[in-house]
Amino acid sequence: MIYDLIEFQAFPFSYSLRFEDRVTLVRGDSATGKTFLYQMLEDLRMTKEYEAIRLFNYKTDNFHSSLAKMQKSFIVIDNADTILNEEDRKFINFEHSNQYMLFLRNCDGLNLSAGSFMVLCEKGKQITLEREIKF
Amino acid sequence: MIYIYTVKRDSEDWILRNDWYFNLYTCNQKFTEEEKSIVRKLDRAIVSDDMRIETKYGLGTVRNLSSGCKTCLNIIKNPGKTVSVEECGANVLDFVFQLDEIHIYMSRPERFHIREEVEICFNEKDIVFGRRGYENWWSEEYARRAESDL
Repeated sequence: MIYDLIEFQAFPFSYSLRFEDRVTLVRGDSATGKTFLYQMLEDLRMTKEYEAIRLFNYKTDNFHSSLAKMQKSFIVIDNADTILNEEDRKFINFEHSNQYMLFLRNCDGLNLSAGSFMVLCEKGKQITLEREIKF
Repeated sequence: MIYIYTVKRDSEDWILRNDWYFNLYTCNQKFTEEEKSIVRKLDRAIVSDDMRIETKYGLGTVRNLSSGCKTCLNIIKNPGKTVSVEECGANVLDFVFQLDEIHIYMSRPERFHIREEVEICFNEKDIVFGRRGYENWWSEEYARRAESDL
């Protein structure tokens, strides 16, 4: 894992994101703050501590070839249902040096565990990742 | 009737990139009071007359709405288009399936509420009713895909 935990303040919110698997799908209802989180990570990645973060969304030029070059990175993909193809999904499965946080609903073709399926939860002003599948 | 297409088509009449289409085209049309109330319901955002929004994250423009909310507005404001709902959460799909005479693209099922009287046409041939019909159709579809090794 590149990061077990990502923590930062985005007033009035405080984020504490704990990861359980190399691949994390952030799902749940619309309007739970996924794209807002993505925008915060754009700034966070400019810090030394979080410089391994790499961000992709539907605006990224040459997305597929850029993704295929990634190693030892914490890769965040917004709009993943729209932009991921079969080859990208294979790359995610087999490039183990990377960790992934995907804003993605369709999990076809990905090797995942119960700890991969997460939702953003807001308690007070604290935002965390919680398992979507609870046994 | 809700028309669902399960195979992606590359056509000018299809909206597959909802954020992009909304930011460039849909958001340039004025919102009706009913559409503003949809935004309030789905994103808990208040839309002003000059198309700014206020949410718990702060102030912004309608371009800062969620992808799900943008998808919903793309469907309502572009009635001739087939719109992908692949990025929509259950809260948005609950609402979308209360609309009528809409065309949407979805490649897999999602769990959400559908009223029993809702008429759904899959791929311009199979007509079913309500959540039970929807779930049965997808069960059969997955059996077909397994047979075809898809």
